[in-house]
Amino acid sequence: MRSSPTLSRRAALAAGAAALALPAVTRANATDPIGYATWSAAVDQVKAHVAGFEKKTGLSVAYSNSPFAQYRETMITKFTGGAPLDMLWVSDAWLPEFAQAGWLAPIDPYKQLTAYDAVTADFCVKSTIFEGKQYGLTYYTDYMGFLYNADILAKAGITTPPATWDEVISQAQTIKSKGLLDYPVVIGMAQESWMIEFMSAMVYSTGGRFVDDAGNAVMQDPKAGAAMALNWLVDAVQTHKVLSPGCVTTGELEVLKTASAGRAAFVLLPKYRLKVLNDPAQSQAAGHFKQALMPMGAGGSHSTVGWMRFYGATPRGLSGARAEGVVKLMEWFGGKADGDYVFQKTILKDLALSFGITELYKDAAVRADLGSYGDVDLMSKQQEVAHKKDTISPWFGEWNDTHGTAWQQAITGKLSAAAALKTSAEKWATLKKAG
Amino acid sequence: MAIRAVSHDERSAFGLLAGLVAVLMAVTAFPILYSLWISLFAVNLRRPLRMPFVGLDNYIAVLSSPAFWESAGRTALFSAMAVAAVLVIATLVAVLLDQEFPGRRVLSACLLIPWAIPSVANGLMWKWIYDANYGALNGLLLQLGFINSAMIWLGDANRTLPLIANAFIWKEVPLAAILLLVTLKSIPSDLYAAAAVDGAPAFRRFVAITLPALRPGFLLVALYEAMMAIRHFDLFFLLTEGGPGGASDVVAWRIYVETFRNLSFGTGAAMSYILALATLLMSYALIRSMAEKL
Amino acid sequence: MIVPRPIGPRVVRAAILAAASVLLLAYVLAPVAWLLSSSLQTEREIVSIPPHWIPDHPTAQNFRAIFATGLGLAQPSPNGADPASGGFIPSVAGNLLPAMGNSFIVATAVVILNLLIGVPAAYAIAKIRFRGRGVALYAILATRVIPDIALVVPFFLVVRKLGLLDNLASLIITYLAITVPFSVFVLASFFEQMPDDLDRAARVDGCSRLQVLLRVFLPLARPALVAISLFAFLASWNEFLLALMFTQTAASQTLPIIVAGITSDFTVSFSFLNAAGVLAVLPPVALAVIFERYIVSGLTAGAVKG
Repeated sequence: MRSSPTLSRRAALAAGAAALALPAVTRANATDPIGYATWSAAVDQVKAHVAGFEKKTGLSVAYSNSPFAQYRETMITKFTGGAPLDMLWVSDAWLPEFAQAGWLAPIDPYKQLTAYDAVTADFCVKSTIFEGKQYGLTYYTDYMGFLYNADILAKAGITTPPATWDEVISQAQTIKSKGLLDYPVVIGMAQESWMIEFMSAMVYSTGGRFVDDAGNAVMQDPKAGAAMALNWLVDAVQTHKVLSPGCVTTGELEVLKTASAGRAAFVLLPKYRLKVLNDPAQSQAAGHFKQALMPMGAGGSHSTVGWMRFYGATPRGLSGARAEGVVKLMEWFGGKADGDYVFQKTILKDLALSFGITELYKDAAVRADLGSYGDVDLMSKQQEVAHKKDTISPWFGEWNDTHGTAWQQAITGKLSAAAALKTSAEKWATLKKAG
Repeated sequence: MAIRAVSHDERSAFGLLAGLVAVLMAVTAFPILYSLWISLFAVNLRRPLRMPFVGLDNYIAVLSSPAFWESAGRTALFSAMAVAAVLVIATLVAVLLDQEFPGRRVLSACLLIPWAIPSVANGLMWKWIYDANYGALNGLLLQLGFINSAMIWLGDANRTLPLIANAFIWKEVPLAAILLLVTLKSIPSDLYAAAAVDGAPAFRRFVAITLPALRPGFLLVALYEAMMAIRHFDLFFLLTEGGPGGASDVVAWRIYVETFRNLSFGTGAAMSYILALATLLMSYALIRSMAEKL
Repeated sequence: MIVPRPIGPRVVRAAILAAASVLLLAYVLAPVAWLLSSSLQTEREIVSIPPHWIPDHPTAQNFRAIFATGLGLAQPSPNGADPASGGFIPSVAGNLLPAMGNSFIVATAVVILNLLIGVPAAYAIAKIRFRGRGVALYAILATRVIPDIALVVPFFLVVRKLGLLDNLASLIITYLAITVPFSVFVLASFFEQMPDDLDRAARVDGCSRLQVLLRVFLPLARPALVAISLFAFLASWNEFLLALMFTQTAASQTLPIIVAGITSDFTVSFSFLNAAGVLAVLPPVALAVIFERYIVSGLTAGAVKG
């Protein structure tokens, strides 16, 4: 390597790197099949709905799926490697970085898609918008629910579920003291994509925020930040011993399995898990799990975190003659198909995945289905106070890694809660400054 | 240097090597050069229009980051634990399988099972076993009365690395034992016969004859296992994702985080090359130090 | 030392050997036994505390479902419980057998190509003097020192350039590149142990290099060939990261990808997952056990004592 490369040489080198690192532009003909990628969920439902689309439009779709745990990495590799992708599922937390990297294209020019915004929950629409542009339609949405095992509570002589986080502790202590369970509270704090959802639900309900409206870190603030939630967790583990210290390796799936084994009195889980928990084929605790509003902290409310996953399109998909077919496919899944919300109803019925289209709550069949495993009014009441993750940003992934580690260190007692949140906040500030 | 004519032998050698060279050039050469090239740029995929050439800056940044050295320390600790345990257990297993006794064939066939298990299934299995709630390890210890209440396994920061190492060791012992067994079989039996005539007790024979004779095997196993352990990623990914609280944040995991979580392909590539270089240096040092004693 | 009764040490030796064997067997088999046991439990039983080592109600429903859906005899029940068995069968059940087929095709092709390319190369390195011979082996091995994560994206670019996305051929060529260095290393070490006289004698008889290799060395090298075949097969059968990136549909997905898909499918059944794990484990384990005796002799330095 030369010691002082000239500016033009530097530019040439940079161009070389860019050519290698930028998404390779794949030339696509309008007749190439529509490349549609999802994670490995609802596979049969998607296949059937794709088949309907192909039959109706005569267009062909190349549908592919890969495991959710590695989905983001797989997509990053495919984008960078120029794989033929037109439409894909995207998690709300990835929108800023995917959009910044140029992997997603705005759908604003297509009125047949944006028309659905009027009948979609505000939360969902907002979650598809980054820097003023909309990037897709809702695939499904849900929120973090507070679920309890009514059978265990009854055995402990508890008649009403907790309304505050303090009551969660005291009821858990009662259950523990009666020898019913060692750890009545089960909350997942393993490093995985669910961790931020669990945390955000607790932070919101205790009246805190990670980040303020201006995008600045407030998590370190003892009154308005995340300290109340984190302190509660630390106390629950270390002082009251109602939450297992093993929670740092408990993922969402383990929470579900522990609950379905009847080994949990209080859990945080996505609301749709109610269906599995109350299914006798899958759960020993079937029939016992009920939902309550998210408990409140001292200065908090019953609010919780909501999330959504959406159909996004790539620049390739929305370019030239390809756009027409891709827009049709997005509407077929995210909007109406043949005049009805077919796909939304299918995944609700089969998989308990909720929809962003608000008017579906009025549909009799939908209400009957939801009512078979939960309290529909309570579900929608909780949904109304579900908020978007305030940490969604282009640097979310990078911050979340440091943040999750610090948070776990506080729970395991290696770091004070204040120090952990300070680490988190500093990382946020550094990343925000770098942009 | 004068150019020597290509001999007939060389021509046939190149002919025989052609297939291998073609495959490596067509498939492996580009990825290696590409990642080396990328490591010299500040490539963050979130900023596709701003990717300046930075020379060795990525390397300097990595090497001057305290977090990297903490990860490197964990990698070293993990590898040391894993290699030492594999060597000890594999030696015992190899000595056992070197004996003649009924059922030896069955035993050595069973021994291969862990080696053959796909890493995805291995991770899945150990996650189950270590689970704090309904895991087999807790179940077994409870039923045997060794513990009174369920223990936290991977969730305890002090146990995480040793437990991941255990899962690694379990899978690696078979191959190591076979490599050592191969070495044992090559020890001339007259050496033992002579010692037996001298009336040396079994343990003395082991120390005086078997262990020294096993040295080349030890070298091979230590080298191979160290290379595997230093770069090991699967179990960290499947079991803990670097947690709890960074307790299993090793360099291989860091590379993954830099590359795919942070989208800093430049830093990730630089870290990969640092790890590769460290692996090579370690191999060299190991070969030198063990070879001297041979 | 004078031993009064010669039977004593033999009994002690037998006892030690037996104890050590039992210990080793337990260490090796217990985790696998657990995997197998849990694959035979119902979803309800699998989360029992403490866990059941031996199922109370053993059921083969998971395996039945995998074979029935895989062979097209039955449909999965996407919305949960299977009305017939009361069990829970995820919708990907039907992909397991085809994925096994894909894994098998890839692994077999990689083994064959490894032999075709690795044998001549190893022979050349071991027995022919040519410029660069000294570094050749190390250069080949050094291609495997860089962590795969750094190579994933460029590998992807190569595969796309070759037009092999979602094609089994993409896995065959990359696995070949990954496994062949080790094959060459093992084979070259094996050939080196064979006396040079063999080589010379055959060449005096007028054999070409290729003929020497085919007629003299290959028959003797059979154990080593079996050993490297097994290595290549297992490595290909087990590989995850590259398969994850290159394959997109059931047409080319291999078993580890489907298993990983099941682990993170949110409608997952743990007992089903373990059944899928058992399925992934069986073929490589069977091969390793069948060819066990070749592995030791295949790797044995100096197996040919002349």
